[in-house]
Amino acid sequence: MSVQEYWNPILETLPLEKLKVLQFKKFKRILSWAYTHSKFHKALYDNAGLTPDDISSFDDIKKIPKVEKSMMRGIQNKDPFPYGDALCVPLEEVSAFRQTSGTTGQPVYQPDTWQDWEWWSECWSFVLWAQGYRPKDRVFIPFGYNIFVAFWAGHYAAEKLGCEVVPGGVLDTQSRILKIKELNATAMMATPTYILRMADVAKNKMGIDPKDLFINKITCAGEPGAGISSTKKRMEAAWGAKVYDHSGATEIGAWSYECSRQPCGMHVNEAMFLVEIEDLNTGEIIEEPGRKGKMIITALDRMAQPCIRFDSKDIIQWDSEACECGRSFRLIRGGVLGRADDITKVKGVLLSPASIEEVVRSIKGLGDEFEVIVDKQGDADRIKLKVELMPEVKKSNIKNILRDQLRLKTNLGYQIEFYDYGSLPRYEVKAKRFKDLRKKKTVEKECRP
Amino acid sequence: MKNFSNLNEMNDKILKVKQFLIELEAMAIEFPAISKNSKRALASTKMMELNISDIVELDLHDSI
Repeated sequence: MSVQEYWNPILETLPLEKLKVLQFKKFKRILSWAYTHSKFHKALYDNAGLTPDDISSFDDIKKIPKVEKSMMRGIQNKDPFPYGDALCVPLEEVSAFRQTSGTTGQPVYQPDTWQDWEWWSECWSFVLWAQGYRPKDRVFIPFGYNIFVAFWAGHYAAEKLGCEVVPGGVLDTQSRILKIKELNATAMMATPTYILRMADVAKNKMGIDPKDLFINKITCAGEPGAGISSTKKRMEAAWGAKVYDHSGATEIGAWSYECSRQPCGMHVNEAMFLVEIEDLNTGEIIEEPGRKGKMIITALDRMAQPCIRFDSKDIIQWDSEACECGRSFRLIRGGVLGRADDITKVKGVLLSPASIEEVVRSIKGLGDEFEVIVDKQGDADRIKLKVELMPEVKKSNIKNILRDQLRLKTNLGYQIEFYDYGSLPRYEVKAKRFKDLRKKKTVEKECRP
Repeated sequence: MKNFSNLNEMNDKILKVKQFLIELEAMAIEFPAISKNSKRALASTKMMELNISDIVELDLHDSI
């Protein structure tokens, strides 16, 4: 394996036992930093009867209290304004503001120093290098460049790698496609929803086949689609390009990535992050592969507003296989499988919206868009699935296949409604395809990053 | 794990660069063009530390 395969040929091939030593020492360092520089963290640990000195082994880490997003909301809009007392640096050291999307409630503000932004782009550099980005690439980034972190750090990382970056900011979709064509862009970063949307617009509104463009790799983030095999296949088929998954979050950082081998999972950057998987029922830390649980994550080097044992609510599982790329960073099988707060009980069965997407996108003849509505019919739950038929496809040829596959993959029956191609809502960035009307107030999915 | 014979040498140079930048920043308090660029360069230097110095400096034979 050539050292050119890796962004950091030492860290990425460090044996797991040595990675754990590194993680433990870095965990102690960030814990001490937070304890001595943030009133919020000091109070949190004091209330648990712990100081950093009490953490003397890797096993002790789980004693440290977790941080929930609601706790971060609770401290905001207080001094030092607007971040509150989790801030570990003087306000004048903060050089960048971002916030979470806030679709589950009050947005969480994220202060970063210039060093933190260097760190953000460093983490993204691991991602892009592993996915084959090199200085010869011309990278087109079609996102809104605003208060959401999205692809900002991807932009800076691509620059750091030596790529030429084209910011596709406020252009509309057709203008972006024309610019990609005009400049022979070779790579792109966007949400899966927008990758499919761009392909649709190019092909059906502009008469441009995306496969005829020069895009050869696409990095996705913000939605689970690039980890859902049927959605990934659709994107790859539409663009004639490799599509890679990546996961990060505003409060966390860019913590995992698919490498160029596409191993059906993502590597956790274990040099920069400590990932623990917690059993949803017992709360015990899961070490063995193949058992799903909730991710508790620590960003080991993020300084202004540390992320220590953050309850991300992402559902993940360790993979039993090592990746043939040679990285010792462990794989999470299938990427992020869902979110603990997304999984809903319908008719007594646990339903993950991602499993419906997997089925719909696997059926040729159905369009990319769909919508799921859960409501009550009398006392019983009902799931309505709206799908689009591609032109000249007959409903009778699809209906039974769709119903059977849904039953097989989700153990549930659906009221299926077919619509003409192009009639369901289109999304420009992140989609809102799942609606649970049983709740008094509909809570939309919190989006990452 | 890949082996690099010049890892310590690279680390020494990173730490020297860091020291120079700290000194430069301190010298240039009344010269924003130097102090602010030094500070920014220190942030980049920190990334080199995270990539190499942590490994060199930490005794990876420690037990956990």
